[in-house]
Amino acid sequence: MDNNIAIQVHKMSKQYEIISGRQRHDTLRELIAERFQTAFRRNGSAREKSTFWALQDVSLQVNKGEILGIIGHNGAGKSTLLKILSRVTEPTYGSAVIRGRVGSLLEVGTGFHMELTGRENIYLNGAILGMRKDEISKKFDEIVSFSELEKFLDMPVKRYSSGMYVRLAFSVAAHFRPDILLLDEVLAVGDLDFQRKCMDYANSLKNDNATILLVSHNMFSIKVMCNRAICLEDGKLCFDGPATEAIEFYEKNSSKKQHVSPADAHKFPIRFTDITISDEDGNPCYIFDHGQRMRIRLKFTTARPLKDPNFIIAFIRSDNVNCINFCTALDDFQIASIDGESSIELITPNLKLVAELYTIHALVRDSSFQNLYSFQVGPKFHIRHNLLNTHFGVFHEHAKWSWVDD
Amino acid sequence: MNVTVIQASRGLFKIDLEGVWQYRELLFFLVWRDLKVRYKQAAIGVGWAIIQPLLTMVIFTIIFGTLAKIPSDGIPYPIFSYAALLPWNYFSQALTRSGMSLVGDSNLLRKVYFPRLIIPFATVITPLFDFVISFFILLIMMAWYGVTPTWGIIAMPIFLLCALMLALAISLWLAPLNVRFRDVGYVIPFMVQIWMYASPIVYPVSLVPEKWRFLYGLNPMAGVIEGFRWALLGSKSPNLLLVGISILLTILLMLGGVVFFKRMERTFADVI
Repeated sequence: MDNNIAIQVHKMSKQYEIISGRQRHDTLRELIAERFQTAFRRNGSAREKSTFWALQDVSLQVNKGEILGIIGHNGAGKSTLLKILSRVTEPTYGSAVIRGRVGSLLEVGTGFHMELTGRENIYLNGAILGMRKDEISKKFDEIVSFSELEKFLDMPVKRYSSGMYVRLAFSVAAHFRPDILLLDEVLAVGDLDFQRKCMDYANSLKNDNATILLVSHNMFSIKVMCNRAICLEDGKLCFDGPATEAIEFYEKNSSKKQHVSPADAHKFPIRFTDITISDEDGNPCYIFDHGQRMRIRLKFTTARPLKDPNFIIAFIRSDNVNCINFCTALDDFQIASIDGESSIELITPNLKLVAELYTIHALVRDSSFQNLYSFQVGPKFHIRHNLLNTHFGVFHEHAKWSWVDD
Repeated sequence: MNVTVIQASRGLFKIDLEGVWQYRELLFFLVWRDLKVRYKQAAIGVGWAIIQPLLTMVIFTIIFGTLAKIPSDGIPYPIFSYAALLPWNYFSQALTRSGMSLVGDSNLLRKVYFPRLIIPFATVITPLFDFVISFFILLIMMAWYGVTPTWGIIAMPIFLLCALMLALAISLWLAPLNVRFRDVGYVIPFMVQIWMYASPIVYPVSLVPEKWRFLYGLNPMAGVIEGFRWALLGSKSPNLLLVGISILLTILLMLGGVVFFKRMERTFADVI
């Protein structure tokens, strides 16, 4: 194998078993009972074991120092791929060759023991991450000062606040310098601050010329971090190329897929059939610059005539903050009644939202905001800006500043 | 630069001993963790390792030695039973803990890679510390009763190793089973209790009728305990048939256990 290749994945597949009816036998009794049932029932149809392929024939090559983005819908196989590469689970077929030490921020705090002190946990956690004892000893002071927990070092971790706990766990993880980092941003639960720390850590490794595989739903991080990205769909590799093209590919696909109605959608008298977003000139677009305007077109059909409907568009940030709402009733757009199929369109003002990922929610209520006539999750879009992020609030507006003469 | 090859594991007996060696520091830290945690919360701490076997010995002596008058091959009953409790306590602790070990460390299994064998391995090592402490108590007791150790004591580590291998072999079966079926967690304490009475702890093997000896020997702990008594107290030399069966059974259980563990290991992260 070429020395310059960090990861080579060859025709990797992973099959999972789903046992219909119940997830698995939790007790022996269930297993025995079931064996008896199937034995006495000739057809053996008590429970069908079905399988599904979480990954299918994925081949991939990542060079040293490359930052590869992995995108795809939930259940597309992104996390499975990382799990196999970190050797937590085995592939069913295929192989992978990895050159170098692998780390993933999945392990933050893994193996921490509540009864042990901070000092003891640093050693234990370090060993679990794969650090040698002398390596931990060498970095011990650095880890402690990074966590700012000098005073609490000999206190059992169970007396720590959750913030202190995470700080200690993270500073151990951040002093592990792997050659290859597998970062699953989707799983990096925790507050935004923590996620940001993860990204800072990834960036610092990037400067050390580490190889990074980044799984994210945030196209913005992918775009900023990676020059190359792959797109997975139903366990298959369906795109491999420059990050910007991969994002375009993904978003073209997702705009087809993601109009998922809630389960009780059929009860609503109005159904959205299509929600499309574009730039001011009507070109399809999913990444907007801070300050750009957006055109949103809503296509809908009604089951029965409705009076005084009030259409609402909400922008929901990825951390679930409802950032802004536009609605026909407050914009004095009178709709006396609707019946059958039709479309309406709105153009937003200049969007001064900070750089993030947003999801469009489309709703219809009556004019007094009481009854809900329809609800639909629409497409996602990004706002792009190189400085303004959520640390700057929801919106950013310019103000006028001046000196005051006393 | 270390190169890792990932693929579906094949081969029945291919155990990753090299991997275990590479991760020996983790093994050390897991043992160290278990010891720390074990003695940290207990007020008397290490004292339990002394009190527990000593108290059991006292009860056994009163009930089985004094009241039931069970013969003890001419050795003072307290020492007779204590010398058997030594390997038995080690074995039962090792078995109980390692049977539960994989489930207890489920968060490790789900998130990080290391040879999974390390977990049951670490848990059969931890109780050795209690063993060492109890062993010193035995030496004091032997001095008190005027029992002089014989050269056979050199063979004791061999029998201890047998007990360790046996505990490990069985937990290679039980620990993965416990991942699938939590019932195993309830079964183990029962099993240990019954097993104790099926082993020559409160009575000598000579009490077992000759014709049942072979069947009795199918309990691999019988040979180990007999061996301990012989090594420590210089009682009659152990029944070689018993010891031989013990070792053979241990090897068989171990080989089967390794295959079984390897098979189950693949899906730990998926089912736990």
